Amino acid sequence: MQTEVKFSSKRFLLALLLCACSVILLQNNNLSPNASFSFNAICIASGLAICFLFFLPSLILKKRTDSDVPTLARRYTPKLRIPVAIFYSLYFVYGALYFLLPYIDMFHTKYFPGVTPCLITLLMLICCAYAACKGVNVISRFGIFLFLFALLTNILMFGGSLSELDLGHYGFEFRGDVNSFVQNTLYFVTPSFIAVIFACCSGVTRNFRFRQPVFTLIFTGLKYAAVIFFVRFALGDYAGRQTYPAFVLSRVAHFGPFAGIESFYLALATMSVFMIISLFLCCISRGACTEGNRKCVIIFTVIIFALYVTATYINSVKEILSNPVLLLLLTFAAAVMLPAAYIFVGRKSNAKGN
Amino acid sequence: MNYSINEIKLDLQAQFDNSADLSVRVFTLKSVLRIQAAVITMEGLVDKEQLSQSVLNPLLSFDYGTKDSAAVSDTVFSSVMASSDVIKLSCADEIVTYITSGFAVLFVDGADELYAVGVQGYSFRGVSEPESEVVQRGSREGFTEPLRVNMSMIRRRMKTPDLKFEQMTVGTDSKTQLMLCYLQSQVSLDLLNKLKNRLNDCKLETVLASGYLSEYLEDKGSGSLFSGVGISERPDTVCGKLTEGRIAVIVDGTPAVMIVPHLFVEEFQSVDDYSNRTYYAAFIRLMKYLSFFVSVFLPGLYVALAQFHPEYFPTWLLINTSESLAKTPFPVTVEVLAITVVYEIMKEAGLRIPKSLGHAVSIVGALVIGDSAVNAGIISASTLMVVATAAICGYVTSPLYPPIMMLRLFFIVVGGFTGLWGITLATAVVLIGMCAKTSLGVPYLSSLSPFSLRRMRDVFIRADWKRLSRHTIRVQKFPETEVRDADRG
Repeated sequence: MQTEVKFSSKRFLLALLLCACSVILLQNNNLSPNASFSFNAICIASGLAICFLFFLPSLILKKRTDSDVPTLARRYTPKLRIPVAIFYSLYFVYGALYFLLPYIDMFHTKYFPGVTPCLITLLMLICCAYAACKGVNVISRFGIFLFLFALLTNILMFGGSLSELDLGHYGFEFRGDVNSFVQNTLYFVTPSFIAVIFACCSGVTRNFRFRQPVFTLIFTGLKYAAVIFFVRFALGDYAGRQTYPAFVLSRVAHFGPFAGIESFYLALATMSVFMIISLFLCCISRGACTEGNRKCVIIFTVIIFALYVTATYINSVKEILSNPVLLLLLTFAAAVMLPAAYIFVGRKSNAKGN
Repeated sequence: MNYSINEIKLDLQAQFDNSADLSVRVFTLKSVLRIQAAVITMEGLVDKEQLSQSVLNPLLSFDYGTKDSAAVSDTVFSSVMASSDVIKLSCADEIVTYITSGFAVLFVDGADELYAVGVQGYSFRGVSEPESEVVQRGSREGFTEPLRVNMSMIRRRMKTPDLKFEQMTVGTDSKTQLMLCYLQSQVSLDLLNKLKNRLNDCKLETVLASGYLSEYLEDKGSGSLFSGVGISERPDTVCGKLTEGRIAVIVDGTPAVMIVPHLFVEEFQSVDDYSNRTYYAAFIRLMKYLSFFVSVFLPGLYVALAQFHPEYFPTWLLINTSESLAKTPFPVTVEVLAITVVYEIMKEAGLRIPKSLGHAVSIVGALVIGDSAVNAGIISASTLMVVATAAICGYVTSPLYPPIMMLRLFFIVVGGFTGLWGITLATAVVLIGMCAKTSLGVPYLSSLSPFSLRRMRDVFIRADWKRLSRHTIRVQKFPETEVRDADRG
C-alpha cells in the first residue's frame, strides 16, 4: 500500500463528482410534484450555487495552505484538535446513515424484498471499512472505474428511455411556487457534503485548480437535470406517484427486447454509496487518528451499524437521521464555519510569525 | 595466509561429511623440491576432459625447476593454465561455493593463492521454446536452467555496455546464485537499491526456484491475489522490459526469470502483439481483456441470474435454462461449484500423470463427466457450457490463471448467496484491493488507475511502432510511483 504519495486533485474531484451524482439516484419523493422541469432546472442552479458557497472556505484554505482542516487543527490548535475531530466524526457518521438508510430502503422495497436489511447493511459496511483502510488515494483510483461504469449506466438508462420521451404532452412551461422552490433547492444542496470531504482530505492532493470544483458542480447539475428531464418526460405523471423515480426510469428503459437496466442502476447506486461511506470513514480516520487506521475505522463502522439497527427499530431516530435540514446545518458548520475559522487562525499565526 | 593441502582437505571432508562426490586430487609437480598441488572438484559438475586438457595436463608436464611454492603458484597461473575462466578466491570459505557451481579449485601446497577454474560440465536441458509462452512470429528460444546460459541469451540481444549483470547469493544452505540484470541508463537507482535490500533480507535456507523469492519482492501491505512480480521464460520479453527501466532477476537453476516492477496491463501483452499488424494486435488485445472478464464473471453472473433474477434471461433462454436446471438434483450454485472443482481436479490430473495416460483422462473427462453426467440428469447442459467457456477463457491470459480461478470461485459463491448485488459489492472490493496494490512502489493498475492517456497506446490497443518508439516509457515515470528517478551524476 502506498503512503505519503500526493495524488492528482482532478481524480479526487472526480471521486467527489461521483458521490454528488449519487444523491439523485436515491431521491425518494424529495422534489415537489408541482414543479415543472424548467422550474427544477432553476432550483438545481440555485442549489448548486449554494453548494459552491459551501465549497469556498475549504478552497481558499487549500489554495493558501495546501492543507486541510484536520492537518491545520493539529498544526494551529492542538488543544482543539479533539473537539474538531469529534465534530467531524459526528458529521460523517450522520452523513453515512443519511445515505445508507434510503439506499437500503430502496434495495429492500424495490429490488429485493426478501432480504434482511440489517444483513445487507452489515455486508456493505464491512466492504466500506475495508476500502477506508486503504485510504483516500486508493478510493479515488477506484473512482476511475466507477466513472466508466456510471457513464455506461447513464448511456443505457437515458438511451433506453429515449423511445418513451413525450416532449409535446408535458411541455417546458415554467410552473412552481415558493414552497416548491425552497423544498427543491434544499434537496439540490444535498451534494454540498462533498465540500466537507474536500475540507477533510484535500491536503493529500496536488495540482489543485479553482476550476476543478466548479466543473464538478456543473457536471453534477447536468446529471441532475438529465435525470429529472427523463423522469419528467419519459415517466410523466406516473413518476410523481412512485418512490425512487430514478429507479423506475431504469426499469422502464429498454433497447428492444433488451431490458433489465435496473440491475446496472442498482450496481451504480451500490458502488456510489459504497464510495461515499468509504470516503466518510476515511475522513473520520484522518481527523481522529491517521489515515487508514484500522482500529478507528472498525470502531466507527460498528457505531454506524449500531445506529442503523437503532433507526430501523425506533422511527424517531430514523427521522432524525433522515432530516435534510439537520444535514444542511451540520454541513454548513463542517464545510463553512470550521474552514473559515482556520483561514482566520492561519492568517493570525502567519502575522505573528512575520 | 599459506594454504595447506591437508588442512583444506580435512576441513572440506568435515564440511561435506565425507560425501562421495567430493574429489580432492593431490599430485606432485615436476620440480626439484617435489612441491604438491591439489585440484578440488565435485563429481558430476565438471567436464573431465576439459579438466584434463586445460588444467591437469599442462600442470603436470611443465618443469618448475627449483622454484619455491609461491613462485610455482605464480607460474602456474601466469604461464601454465590453459583456461580463460580463472577467478582468484579471496579466502578458503569461497571454495565450497565455487566447487558446487562446477568450478575446479586449484592451489599449490604452502602458497597463499587459491584459484577457481571454470570447467563446468554438468548436463543441462538445451535451449528450447518455452511451452508456457508460445509465439507465432517471435524467437523460438527460451531460457534454460544454467544461469550463464541465460545471461548469454540476454547479452546476445542487447549488445550494449549499458547492460549490467550484478551477482548475488541467496539461501543460507543452497547458496543459490542469482543475477540482477538491468540497463544502467534506464533503471532507477532507488528501485535497484530497494530490490537489493529485499533480496538481502531473504533468510531462506534453500532457494530452488525463482518462485521462492517472488514473495520477498512483493510490497508490504499489498496482499493480493495478483502478483507484482512478472515471470517470463523468453529472453526477448525480458530484453523488452529492461528497456523500460525494469530489473530482471535470473535465478540459477530455473528458466523462469522474474521481472519487477510488474503491472496488471502487462499480463495482456505478448511478443506477438509487437510482431503482428497493429489492427490485429489491438483486436487480440481486446479479446484478451474480454476473455479475462468472461472467465472471472461468467459463472458468478450465471449463478446470480439463475438463482435470484431469472427474469433477466430472454424468454427462450429462460425456458431452456429453467427446463434443464429443473431436471438436475442440485441447486445451481452447488452445480457450478462442483463442475468448476471437478474441472480443476481433472486439469491437475492431466498435468501430473504420464503423457501416455493423458488420452484416457481426456476421454473420461469429455465423455463420462461431460456427456454422461448431462444425459444422466446430474448436471445441466447450460451449466456445463458456462463453466467450460469460463475455463477456456481463463487460459487466454495464462499468467493470470491463479487469480482468475480464485476470483471465479469467489464470485460463484457470492453470486449464489447474494445475487447481483453481492457481485457488485465484491467487484468493488476486488477493485479496491487491486488499486491498493503496488509493485516495488509502482501502482499495479498504472495506466488504467492512476490513468495516463499517453500510456494507453499500449494497453487496450497497440499503437504503431512509429508512435511507440517516440517515447520509451520508463516505469519510474509512471504517475504516483514511490520510485525516485535518482540522479546519476
